[in-house]
Amino acid sequence: MPDTLLWTVLLLPAVLGAACLVMRSARGILILVANGGAGWACLAGAAAWGAFARGSLMTAAGWLRLDALSAYHLAVLALVFGASSVYAWGYFWAETATGSLSRRSARRFGTLWFGSAAAMAAVLLSNDLGIMWVGIEATTLLTAFLICVHVTPLSLEAMWKYLVVCSVGVAFAFVGTLLVAASAQHLGIGASEMLRWTSLQTSAARLGPGSMKLAFLFLLVGYGTKAGLAPLHSWLPDAHSQAPAPVSALFSGFMLNAALYCVARYLPLVEAATGDAGWGRQLLVTFGIGSILVAAAFIVFQRDGKRFLAYSSVEHLGIICLGLGLGGVGTFAALWHGLNHSVGKSLAFFSIGRLGQMYGTHDLGALSGAMRRSPIWGVGFCGGLLALIGVAPFAIFMSEFQILRAAAADRAFVVLTLFLLGVGIVFVGALRHAITVAWGEEIGKPEPQAGGAADAVLVWGALALLLVLGLWMPGPLGSALEAAAAVVGGRP
Amino acid sequence: MSVGAEAVIALLVITDLLLLGSSRLRSCITIAALQGAVVSLLPVLLHGDEGAARAWSLTVGSMLLKGGVFPWLLRRVLRESGVRREVEPFVGHTLSVVVGVAALAFAVWVDARLALPVSATGHAPLLIPAGLATLLIGLFLIVSRRTAVTQVLGYLVIENGIYAVGVALVGGVPLLVELGVLMDIFVAVFIMSIAAYHISREFDHIDVDQLDRLRG
Repeated sequence: MPDTLLWTVLLLPAVLGAACLVMRSARGILILVANGGAGWACLAGAAAWGAFARGSLMTAAGWLRLDALSAYHLAVLALVFGASSVYAWGYFWAETATGSLSRRSARRFGTLWFGSAAAMAAVLLSNDLGIMWVGIEATTLLTAFLICVHVTPLSLEAMWKYLVVCSVGVAFAFVGTLLVAASAQHLGIGASEMLRWTSLQTSAARLGPGSMKLAFLFLLVGYGTKAGLAPLHSWLPDAHSQAPAPVSALFSGFMLNAALYCVARYLPLVEAATGDAGWGRQLLVTFGIGSILVAAAFIVFQRDGKRFLAYSSVEHLGIICLGLGLGGVGTFAALWHGLNHSVGKSLAFFSIGRLGQMYGTHDLGALSGAMRRSPIWGVGFCGGLLALIGVAPFAIFMSEFQILRAAAADRAFVVLTLFLLGVGIVFVGALRHAITVAWGEEIGKPEPQAGGAADAVLVWGALALLLVLGLWMPGPLGSALEAAAAVVGGRP
Repeated sequence: MSVGAEAVIALLVITDLLLLGSSRLRSCITIAALQGAVVSLLPVLLHGDEGAARAWSLTVGSMLLKGGVFPWLLRRVLRESGVRREVEPFVGHTLSVVVGVAALAFAVWVDARLALPVSATGHAPLLIPAGLATLLIGLFLIVSRRTAVTQVLGYLVIENGIYAVGVALVGGVPLLVELGVLMDIFVAVFIMSIAAYHISREFDHIDVDQLDRLRG
């Protein structure tokens, strides 16, 4: 049973993607995307649940494996992908009516959309660190054309930058992967098991420390490029601002996390190899703080709503990185922050996408007073923004607070101060945008929109989730987070 | 170390320097294809005795891709865009060759300093510095050239360098991973060619330096 479940999670998106190629109408493809995406999300959720219940699932002679860490990420992916698929249906539906989404573009979108889900599932399900790299590279390639569903000069420019920067960056991660294999060579692990995470982990303390350090540097630069950590984030604002909103949501909501997940996989290996001295963690703290501060510096000057959200992703990925680096409560909080950020950021991208369609621009000044024109998406954008900048009692406030506690427990007061500084700048810079969109003087006056039932479910569901998680941590989620944090390891 | 492997290392370095020195895009594509084909020989030359079938299938597969499919795809882009030469790169061709030699010296120095663990079987001592230098030169090609085609070539050169380093370090990763990587590179070049084609249609040039409207 677990065998077939894991295989289905991996292969179903590929089948659905192929099905999109033969569909006859754009609308049919959109319906398939919504239903298929939601159905796959349920299946992936079931697989994650099974992994939590049994500790871990393994199949295909050890090539596929789902443990607490990957199951947790799979659950987040399921949530983001399911919601984005349903949203994509509503987002593109109007475009099929006006004819700006042709059947060809719809086919391309559907196929690549499901294809990228398969690639991300491969990253999470693979027990082999080489296949994990193949999966990350595949997500880059499959999502590249999602950025220019509508081929315009600007979207082509964004796509080219994304393609070149991420392909080259991720190539560095492959050098790191090779170095990991090289530092395990004297252990006598068989050739086909050379890159198995499970076999490396059991003898992690005997890996060559010097080459593991070098490997981790390459891995951090490589996967860090894909995760958008500063100063490797140059592709991120362009790609996020030019992609259609559902794609931006998937980028920020999960693709960045998937790259950071790869770093988290290597963290226990490098820590054990270097004698648990915190060498790798220190690097993560530095990268994390750097990303938070760089994002804060840029975010203040952003006028374009989607670029603004993209820099906010740099900030939040930095916060997750910082939490992983601090260890202890920090690891727990970082993983939790990943979920909170994915929900909040998807909601914000959903809302600005639809507002952008109404207003014909993503300029935050022009969206002034949008809450009166479109109550649903206006509330979604303001609520999402407030949650993202860490307004209590939303869940992001709680997870950031726990990371602060981890820093204080570590007596890392410089880190704590810089973290507060960065988050504070973002808070002040973003608050005025939220207020403008909610209650500002109206400039553009498009037709008011009521919004359908699915829209309301997406917006209120996400806001309710963020609120509930901020006030009360459900038992199963807490134990899942603890199990996932135990895989990453670190001082309790 | 076999004579064949020594020849491969020498050809790797020579093709690196030729790429840095030539401005005609057609010859750049040919040189890069030659380099890809030469690097593909490494598994057979160094690890041919242990798993002959595996080594040969990898060699043939990657030679077909790097020596045949990629140059064909890139020449098509070139034909459609009508670009012949890399005019005015950010770093001149003569200076580029000097940078290439410096990269080689740096790679030799780094290799001596790091004392990396090397593959026990069929190791060629100069392969790691040659591979590292190729990696650096690929990176340099990407940042110092303006056309989309040269950037794709830079990406391919980086991959060749990594491949050489990988063969020297671990002798070769599991076959499934190797195939996955090869497939990724294929798709990457395929997609980059389509993108370069779209760019040439949309902008009437493939000068990616002029893609600068998104900033901040």
